[in-house]
Formats: sequence, structure tokens, C-alpha cells
Amino acid sequence: MICEHCKQRNATVTVTQVQSGQKVEHHYCDVCASQFHPFHAEFKQEPISIQQLLSNWFGSPSWQQQKAGEKQQAQPQPQTCPQCGFTYKQFLKEGKFGCPSCYDTFSEHLPKLFNRIQAGPQHIGKMPGARSNVYVIKKQIEDIRKRMKVAVDEEQFEEAAKLRDEVKELEKHLQFEGGDVS
Amino acid sequence: MMIESFLERATPIWMSMEDDYSDIVISTRIRLARNLDGYRFPLAFTENEALQVEQAVTHAIKDSTELQENYSYFAIKDLTALQRQILVEKHLISPQLAKKELVGSMLLSDDESTSIMVNEEDHLRIQCMTASFQLQKAFEQADKIDRTLEKALPYAFRDTFGYLTSCPTNIGTGLRASVMMHLPALTLTGQMNQIINAMTRLGMTVRGIYGEGSENLGNVYQVSNQITLGKTEDDILADIQSVAEKIIQKERHARGKLMEKAELALEDRVYRSLGTLTYARILTSEEAATCLSNIRLGVDLQLIEGIKATTLNECVVSMQPGFLQHYAGDVLPPAERDRVRAEMLREALFQENMSKPIIGEKGEDSFDV
Repeated sequence: MICEHCKQRNATVTVTQVQSGQKVEHHYCDVCASQFHPFHAEFKQEPISIQQLLSNWFGSPSWQQQKAGEKQQAQPQPQTCPQCGFTYKQFLKEGKFGCPSCYDTFSEHLPKLFNRIQAGPQHIGKMPGARSNVYVIKKQIEDIRKRMKVAVDEEQFEEAAKLRDEVKELEKHLQFEGGDVS
Repeated sequence: MMIESFLERATPIWMSMEDDYSDIVISTRIRLARNLDGYRFPLAFTENEALQVEQAVTHAIKDSTELQENYSYFAIKDLTALQRQILVEKHLISPQLAKKELVGSMLLSDDESTSIMVNEEDHLRIQCMTASFQLQKAFEQADKIDRTLEKALPYAFRDTFGYLTSCPTNIGTGLRASVMMHLPALTLTGQMNQIINAMTRLGMTVRGIYGEGSENLGNVYQVSNQITLGKTEDDILADIQSVAEKIIQKERHARGKLMEKAELALEDRVYRSLGTLTYARILTSEEAATCLSNIRLGVDLQLIEGIKATTLNECVVSMQPGFLQHYAGDVLPPAERDRVRAEMLREALFQENMSKPIIGEKGEDSFDV
């Protein structure tokens, strides 16, 4: 039997529908069936869009929205990105940011989001050239401080003092590069 | 270069390189997503902003002495629907960029290994491709372009979130590394679902290359990282490297087992596919992809000789609808495409196949029946 949709391939899927008490049978090939028949959604792994995920995870459930609505007068206006006018709600709906400034505007919500969809909330990769020195030095300082702590714990004070001097040197360097020492 | 010269070649020069993984890995692709600070993302920007972004990027590339490679510039709106489709089929631009009506352009290196998409989902997407399995090489090329461009362009970057992107799934490194693999034995032995599930748990995805709904058409899969923030570029590449190596190992093992248990059946499958492609008059893309996959497996397992992997690569690209219509020189309805596809593949494979002395007039004489 030939597929009644594409009329090319062999029909391998039979769909039985009950419409107003009457049984209707349709015959499709697996390609056509997978394209438009809803029952296939159970088997086929449809990619879930990022919007859906964001709304499910971070969109407030309806009862909360209602509650928020009741209190609306007392609550501050939702944050709006000054550069593109996006609100956080709009971001959840689109699944995308409107501009780079959105990241600053919504910065308090983002670590939670990135903890879910990424490996963590902090970038540890490459940086644009001008900043990479600052980044590399900060990393070095961090590492040396850890080693310093170990040295102190193990009462190797000479080693600790040496490491402390290294940190001081690097901090001077960092200030020279324009990074904040903190 | 003119757009035509890019459309003529089914496979670019860089594809012809071979290494230890060429039997399984078809190509490696690195993509870096970047945006310019002070401009809204393409989702929200005005046409004027788009123009400014485009000019800034184009100038940064043209003015650079470091980027010695010549880049050709094309505005998407100036290309016909068919030309765009061919660029998508060659993976030079994304389907999303091809759909852009007003904004959107690309810069393409002469050897087609690098394409820079402007105003796609992000202002800038640097894409570098290599043949076979060469993550490091592809990354180095993309990184070089990135480092050159960052000197001229004000990248949107924050210490905490890294490179800022339109979609939160690209934030941080903006790096997507993909390895395109031919996995017929794993598919045949029903192990792919298990692999896909495991990949998802490791923060990676496995997809078909012909888009959604054609997941394993031609048994070609694309393995890529999902996570872009909280890991360094080196970590991401190392993860993909080890996962891809594991899959290669599994595929080789499955191929070995198939040869051990069912060599004749496998050989039968390969030669039936060769028969179909060399004689069929109507071929759907599904059937053609399956047959090409079988023949490729046959070549890799040395069940069949005299067919070059490059020929098969070319066939895989040029049997797609855009190329096919380009080959025919006309817009074709689907049924007509199936006829032209059969004709094109016959032409490509018949010559190679027939030049071998296994069948044909001369061969018959020497057989004692």
C-alpha cells in the first residue's frame, strides 16, 4: 500500500481514528507519519526549545502570578533594560536577551539560570586580549594564595613568606595593568 | 571571488585531506559567537544598527594585515533562494542566516574553510572547518581570527559571564565544537540511542546533519558541546575530543563485529546499494543517503574497491535539493528532483564502478563458468 500523504513510499503506519463514532483508518509511510501525526510525539525526541525550558524553570506558576498581581501596587516596577527595553519576563518569553546591557540589568537573576543550563555561573575561559593579562595575573594570585595557605597549615613559614612576596609582586603588576586588587 | 565559484564546487579543497580518523570522522567545525558592545542583538536591533555592525566587522577584516586569507563578502539579501540553500547545504552559513531578508551577510575565505557570519543570531559568528578530526587546528584558526578582530572591535564581554551572546546557551566562551561522524555500524546494531542519551548527560548533543526530522539520514551525526560557560575552551575541546574518540572506538568495534558475524550480509548490502545508485532511475534523498552510507562503509571496510571517499563526499553534498537544482539549472518539483538525483548519482558512480574489471564485458571473458 502506498502512503496516502506523499503517494510515493510504502505505507508502514496505520492510524485509526474514531470520528463521531465512526472508525477511520489512515495509512502513512514512516516519514510522513513522523512529520505530522501527533501520536508520534510520544516516541520521537522533539528538541525542546530554550524558551520552553526557561519558562518552565523560571517563569512563575500561575498562582504566584495571581498573588503578585494582588500586591502589584506595593511592588516596584519590573526591571527594564535601559538599552533595549527588555524586561526579564520578556527574556523568559523569547529565550534570548535583547542586548549586552541585559546581562547587567538582570545580573542578579542570571547565576541561578546559568547554574541550571551551564557548567556554572562564572566564565573561566579566554578573555579579549587587553584584559587577558589581568585575568591571568588574578588567576596566578589565586593559585599562589592557595599554596600559601597550605604552607602555613603545614607550618612551612619560609615557603609561605616566599609565596607572600610573589603575591605582592603580582599585585603591583596587576595595578600596573589596570586591574583592581581585591 | 564571485558567488558562483563557491557554488560550483560540491566539496571544498580542505575536505580532501585524510588522516587516521577519515574512515569515521567527516569534518570538524568550530564556531565562536561574538557581539559588539553598545549595539542591540540582531533579535532587537534596527536596520541602521545592523548596517553599523556589518561595516565595523567588514572593515576590521579588510584592514587586518594578520588575516592574509582573502575573504569575499556577500550580503544575504543579494543572493537568490537557491544560492542561499546551496551555502546551507555546504554548511557555510546557517539556515537561520539564510532566512534573513534585510540584514545578514557573510565573509568567506577562498578555500571555504572559514566563514564569518554577520548579524545572524549574534553580531558575529566565526566558523572554521577542517577535514576529519582536527579540533585543535580548527580552534586555532578561529582563535586567530578572533584575536585579530578583538583588536578592532569592541566585544561585549563581562568578567563574570564572558562573551555575551543573544542566547544564554552560548554565553561564556561562545564556543561550539562539532565533529561530524559517519556511524553506520552503531546505527545498524541499535546502539545510537544509548549513545545519544549518554551524550546528553555529559552536556553534549548528537544530531543528524540534515536538520530536524531526519535524525540519522545517511547515518551521519554531529556531536557537539552544549555547555559554554564555566569551562575553559581547552576543557570543552578536551571533552569533545575524548567523547568523539570513544564513539570512534565503539564504531570501529561494531564494524569489526559486523565483519566477523555477518560479512556476507554486509557485502550484500554494500553491493545492493551500489547497484541501486548505479542503475536506479528515481531516488529519494533518504534512499540515496542510505545507499551512499552503505557504500562508504563498504569502502572503509575494503569490501569494495575503486571508489574514492572524495567522490562519496561530493555525492553526499550534491544530492541535496539546492545542489541538485543548481546541477539541473532549474527549479525542480520534488518528484523531478528524485529523477535528477538518480541521474546525477549514476553519472558520478557509474564511471568509477565500471572502470573496475569485476563486472562488464572484459571481465566476463576471463571467468570460467
